Amino acid sequence: MLGLALMAWLTVVICYGGNWVLGQCMIERPIVVGLVAGILMGDIPTGVIIGASLEAIFMGAVNIGGAISAEPVTATALAVAFAVGAGVDQGTAVTIAVPVGVVTAFLSIAMNNVVLAFFTAPFDRMAANGNERGLAIQHYLLWFVKYAVFALIAFLGVYFGAEPVAAIVNQIPSNVTAGLNAVGSLLPAVGMALLLRMLWSPQLAVYFFLGFTVYEYLGMPMIAIAVVGVVIAVVSALRDKELFDMSKKAPAVRIEAASATTGVNDDEEAFFE
Amino acid sequence: MSKITGDLSKEDRKMVNSIFLRSFTVFASCAGGAVKAGADGWLYSVQPALDRYYKGRPEDRADAMRRHTTWYNITQNVGTFAMGLVASMERENSTHDDFDTESIDAIKVSLMGPMSGIGDAIFWGVLRVIAAGIGINIAMSGSPLGAVIFLLIYNIPSILCRYYMTYLGYNLGTSFISTLYDGGLMKLITKATSTVGLIMVGAMTAANVRFSTVLSIPVQNSDPVLVQTYLDSIFKGLIPLAVTLVCLRLLKKNVNVNIILFGLMIFAFLMGLVGVM
Repeated sequence: MLGLALMAWLTVVICYGGNWVLGQCMIERPIVVGLVAGILMGDIPTGVIIGASLEAIFMGAVNIGGAISAEPVTATALAVAFAVGAGVDQGTAVTIAVPVGVVTAFLSIAMNNVVLAFFTAPFDRMAANGNERGLAIQHYLLWFVKYAVFALIAFLGVYFGAEPVAAIVNQIPSNVTAGLNAVGSLLPAVGMALLLRMLWSPQLAVYFFLGFTVYEYLGMPMIAIAVVGVVIAVVSALRDKELFDMSKKAPAVRIEAASATTGVNDDEEAFFE
Repeated sequence: MSKITGDLSKEDRKMVNSIFLRSFTVFASCAGGAVKAGADGWLYSVQPALDRYYKGRPEDRADAMRRHTTWYNITQNVGTFAMGLVASMERENSTHDDFDTESIDAIKVSLMGPMSGIGDAIFWGVLRVIAAGIGINIAMSGSPLGAVIFLLIYNIPSILCRYYMTYLGYNLGTSFISTLYDGGLMKLITKATSTVGLIMVGAMTAANVRFSTVLSIPVQNSDPVLVQTYLDSIFKGLIPLAVTLVCLRLLKKNVNVNIILFGLMIFAFLMGLVGVM
């Protein structure tokens, strides 16, 4: 179990720490964490599949302005470790991961907002003294220590958690397993809703239904749907640009057009809000 | 693209490239936590400009460094624009005695909101979603290619943007952003990107939120009626769609996301437990 716990620690350091020193390149996303954990723990297909399932669930959880709702790295690392090392089945491992992600998010927020606040004074002092070298050392050292310490959560979780979790999971009756799998099937709805909140506007909401229907009924691959989406966006943007240029030339038309759009707005808002 | 990078001297290029490279670590340490956000990474990133323009004037240099210790947060793929811009302002400041240093901070602060708005929407709302949608589909079969493709789709445009934004900021100055905003062009860009994003989220909802019931209604002297067949004949994926929209509605009513998450977990668990799913 020590080896597996060390691998979980390493996964979190590489993915979480690496993400923030490499320009938030998204290696902290479950789809990548799953692969890294799979490679380190010696079962790539399991890691990849768990990563893909968790990616769909945690889709909406991004670090925007330092506020996060879930921390998916530790969650994914633990789920893969339990599935690979403790024989927990994939659906159950995914379900265990979700509350883990929520709890570690709180710990992560505590670390970022409270512990790091103690470094305010040395930072200000070194800057005022023009101590460039000291600042660079603090920058990288703090980065490493921060993530190395945070990854201990994953280490301890696997080291002490794997055996009890496996023991409990093996006793679970089949209808409870069905319940756990049902959770994994429906939970991505929250991730999608978080994304929708960011993009949703009454005028554009119809495109969500277009995407849904195209996948459900035509079964088009994602990349093809993306291309269709870009085509629609380009066509309508060119038309908007024309209207925009026209309204600039003729201010009277612009006012008319503006009041027309607000009229439509009100109707649709009443329906969608 | 040569227009964006401009006709800069060798020394200029070296400095801008150095800012670009350092900017990858902008949020690595976040010393100062919520008080400072990425301030220390910001200072580390613009340091090459300060070192160059205040060479041999340690007092002025320390003064400039202290100026850059305030709270900083912009989506990092576009934030390099602010870094390039500030580098060019520090150049002006170092040669003009009457330059108002407060304007440097003011520009930085006023750029944070709008630039993060564009950056978050384009990179996290759209590009990442497209990349993940394609990646998840491949990864579900157990192929490591899914993660690799996800990273390539996200990072190639993202790194190019980071690079050219640094030059753009250094060359163009503030006029560029205000033209975009005053003209209302920004709205067009936001609308176009949201369109693609919504189509992708729709497709991903269909692909990832799954529901199928095993419930059946027994009929005398005939095969039992499967409820799922009926649901499918109304609209395929009706339940996942409904569940997603209910979650959205709750989010819009400012219900805490963790409550929704656990509420749905309990709901789905009970559904599975009693044999509906």
